[in-house]
Amino acid sequence: MSILTTKNTRVVIQGGPAGESAARRMAEFCHLSRIPFNVAAFVFPPGAGKTVEIQCGSELISVPTYKTVAEATDAHPEIDTSLVYIGPSRAYAGTMEALSSPNIKLVSMITEGIPERDAKKLRIESERRGKTFNGPSSIGILSAGEARLGVIGGSYDNLVLCKLHRQGSFGVITKSGGLSNEIMWICSQFADGITTAIGIGGDTYPGSDFSTYLEMFENDPQTKAVVMVGEMGGDLEEGAAAWYAAKKRRIKLIGVVSGYCQEELPKGMKFGHAGAKEGRHGEGSARAKSEALQAAGAIVPATFGGLGPAIKAAYEDILASGEAKAPATSAEPQNLPKTIDEAVKDGDVFAEPLLKSSICDDRGEEPLYSGYAASELIDKGYQIPHVIGLLWDKRLLSPVEAEIVKRIVILSADHGPCVSGALVTIIAACAGINMAQAVAAGMIMIGPRFGGAVTGAGQWFSYAVKNKMDVDEFLAYMKKNVGPVPGIGHRVKSLRNPDKRVKSLVSYVKSTGIPTPHLDFALQVEARTTVKKDTLILNVDGTMAAILVDLGFPVDALNGFFILSRTIGMIGHWIDQKQQGSRLVRLFKYLANYVSPKKREVPPLDS
Amino acid sequence: MAKVLEGPGMGLVSKWGMAVPHYVVITEAEQLGSLAQANAWLRESKLVVKAHEAIGSRMKLGLVKVGLNLDEARAAAKEMLGKAVAEVTISQVIISEMVKHEAEFYIAAQSTRDGAELLLTNMGGIEVEENWEKVKKIAITLGDTPSSDQLTQLAKDAGFEGALVPKVVDFASKLFQCLEQEDGTYLEINPLVLRKSTGELTALDAVTMVDADARFRHPDWNFSFASEFGRPYSDNEKAILEIDTQVKGSVKFIEIPGGDTALLPAGGGASVYYSDAVLAMGGTLANYSEYSGDPPDWAVEALTEKVCSLKGIKRIIVGGAIANFTNVKKTFSGIIKGFRKAKADGKMEGVSIWVRRGGPFEKEGLAAMKELENEGFDIHVYDRYTPLTDIVDYAIKGVEA
Repeated sequence: MSILTTKNTRVVIQGGPAGESAARRMAEFCHLSRIPFNVAAFVFPPGAGKTVEIQCGSELISVPTYKTVAEATDAHPEIDTSLVYIGPSRAYAGTMEALSSPNIKLVSMITEGIPERDAKKLRIESERRGKTFNGPSSIGILSAGEARLGVIGGSYDNLVLCKLHRQGSFGVITKSGGLSNEIMWICSQFADGITTAIGIGGDTYPGSDFSTYLEMFENDPQTKAVVMVGEMGGDLEEGAAAWYAAKKRRIKLIGVVSGYCQEELPKGMKFGHAGAKEGRHGEGSARAKSEALQAAGAIVPATFGGLGPAIKAAYEDILASGEAKAPATSAEPQNLPKTIDEAVKDGDVFAEPLLKSSICDDRGEEPLYSGYAASELIDKGYQIPHVIGLLWDKRLLSPVEAEIVKRIVILSADHGPCVSGALVTIIAACAGINMAQAVAAGMIMIGPRFGGAVTGAGQWFSYAVKNKMDVDEFLAYMKKNVGPVPGIGHRVKSLRNPDKRVKSLVSYVKSTGIPTPHLDFALQVEARTTVKKDTLILNVDGTMAAILVDLGFPVDALNGFFILSRTIGMIGHWIDQKQQGSRLVRLFKYLANYVSPKKREVPPLDS
Repeated sequence: MAKVLEGPGMGLVSKWGMAVPHYVVITEAEQLGSLAQANAWLRESKLVVKAHEAIGSRMKLGLVKVGLNLDEARAAAKEMLGKAVAEVTISQVIISEMVKHEAEFYIAAQSTRDGAELLLTNMGGIEVEENWEKVKKIAITLGDTPSSDQLTQLAKDAGFEGALVPKVVDFASKLFQCLEQEDGTYLEINPLVLRKSTGELTALDAVTMVDADARFRHPDWNFSFASEFGRPYSDNEKAILEIDTQVKGSVKFIEIPGGDTALLPAGGGASVYYSDAVLAMGGTLANYSEYSGDPPDWAVEALTEKVCSLKGIKRIIVGGAIANFTNVKKTFSGIIKGFRKAKADGKMEGVSIWVRRGGPFEKEGLAAMKELENEGFDIHVYDRYTPLTDIVDYAIKGVEA
């Protein structure tokens, strides 16, 4: 058996994220000990009505969240214990709520830093109602193999190492959370482990005290000895000594008290726990407490280091007297199921991949673009065009290629507010649409008549060059099978009013001396088409397409250059409208040609 | 518990209707001139000038001057302000009127586990400590208020007579209210005197301790808390206190000049056992520190830098029990960064480091610590299989397990 909490205990956790994380630790313990999960509900007003998913073994358990303790206990009448994880200013009211519930017998408060006055009131209230109030500042309560209330016991590995999946013979009471864990470890190394361990918290006025719990341990036949870790300040250790001395006790009591250092350190110095403070007239010194425990017949090692051997000796005594047997080895702890990630890492499973990615690997410290670390690219002076080359064509561009890509991006970044993409982005911005959606709306305009001809042009120019077609042959083929040649023709630009962007790009590319069979072919096509009609010039889409195919970019990538470049402009238009505080725009009626039928009478509905 | 300096402490006492002498707190002696124009008592009374700092034995150190007129008070203030005493610089002085009185009394109220106690005697000043057995006290259960009859009986038991009794009863009930309403933990008025001019009971000096954790419900607590160990906080201590208020978990640091062993342990409970172990082994402590509650690594790093900067240390104890939820790897990474900085600043010369720890990510944390061997640190790393404080024995004896 154990005290305070067993496998039948059902818990409500009051509080938000800290409580949830405790519930996860508690679920690990339930898995370790092969017992049902013991958290029935959360009380956290902001989350009321929702559920929290807690992993228990290989299952996810949905735990409901309520607004009040009463709602939780109405829905789950089996709840008999509350853990309080509420912040200091609201913890008092929340704890009072739990103490007032007729179902709840034990309240353990984990909250640190609550006012002393509140802690005192809660203890007095719990005594009046005959309930146990543990804490504040408690690390929790753990009954080996039965229940874990809070994060006491730490990580899963430690639970296993300390053999907390099964009962031993030692009770543990400490003020310190870290030391409760340490003592559980010592009990598992030097003896057969623990029955129940309780962190009562290091505040000045803890709720239920050492002697209350000693009395419970005395009445638990499984517990043969209790290890009590105290510290200077207050009089709880003296109370424990008085309890132990009052009559012949069944349990052995092993106690240590810290704070001898106060004899040499400046009086009034603050230690880690609020309660670790001698009185103004030296009451509650470590020495006085240790002497009181010793006088009461407790085993009091001179130092903390003496605890291990003392526990070992006590255990040997217990075994020799036949009071306890060495624990059966049958109950083995259960391992925590591995996550898929861990199992893959350990080589335990093979998971067939769902997709294949060949451009970017993010499994390391930073993403690798086609194998190159982004930070190293930056350090070595590479630019955005190189990143485009790596992610769109899996290769590092040469300096000339990078310069051409850069010029293409600059030239196509924007074309004023009136073109389809910008106009739609602006209209959306004026309608109060967010950036991502407004820019996406502009992006939707990119297609055969606006900016979307790059891939098409690239596709047909490379078809012609690959098949060694001459211009006439090509134009005839296009007329017969495709239609207008993508990349040829402009709404406003013409031979007499040439597109400066095209001129500048073509003359730069030619100046570099790189081979440009596709560009040359496209210019030949233009020479022919402009004879027919002066606006059938090689437009910016067609020029980009021919050059990018010459650079070796795959045809599938080509529209990307326009989309990427024009995104810069659309974002600019959105920001511009937003900063001006533009109002909703609508078309003037005189810009619409209304050709719908005149008003007429609606005929009656036929029955 | 947290100590409130005399000025703000008097403020709390007077807030609850108890008479206190006139007083002002100043940071520059010149302020007295304009204050004297506004306050007749500064011109008309004899004055007391005291350093307004948490320094013990102010009288012995010459930081209390009595019976002064305004000019003398100004001169005394000028002399005290800016003076360096016990490694601190006096930045405030409190000037109060001397209250003409005859008898001195003692009254105190303190918080107890079950409620509060009122302590009373008709002797004041230093006589109280010598006659502690004559102090009468009553216990008041939490939620109760002492009745007038109870207080009258207490006053009579403590030796008060005649017209003084109702005055003492009134004062005691106000002091009790102050303790209750201000989340006080200890309020001591010594001496309590009968002002000759008015016949009113007046608190000449007060020790005021309140519960720092209750600050959230006292918006008028516009003071910061003073140290309680006889000297003000040093700049290094203040820096860590400041971090402590900002972070999740806690970091604590108190310097003890002259010690040979520095502490950098985890946990409010374990850190005291480490302190005990150092002294039991014949070492001397250079500080008290602890970090707990999974503080961020930068806070632990800042604490480490302060610990490494302690003068004359021979060893640093990086101890700790088996943590419940403090991430050992993360907190140790803060400590390691602090160590590296200290080493780069030449502070680790001749300093050995002794580590023992367990808890979440203990393997990774301890391995990272052990790596420091390769960087020229004199470091000794132990895991959970070495008992908690054994590293202190090894460190001080200079022998390994």
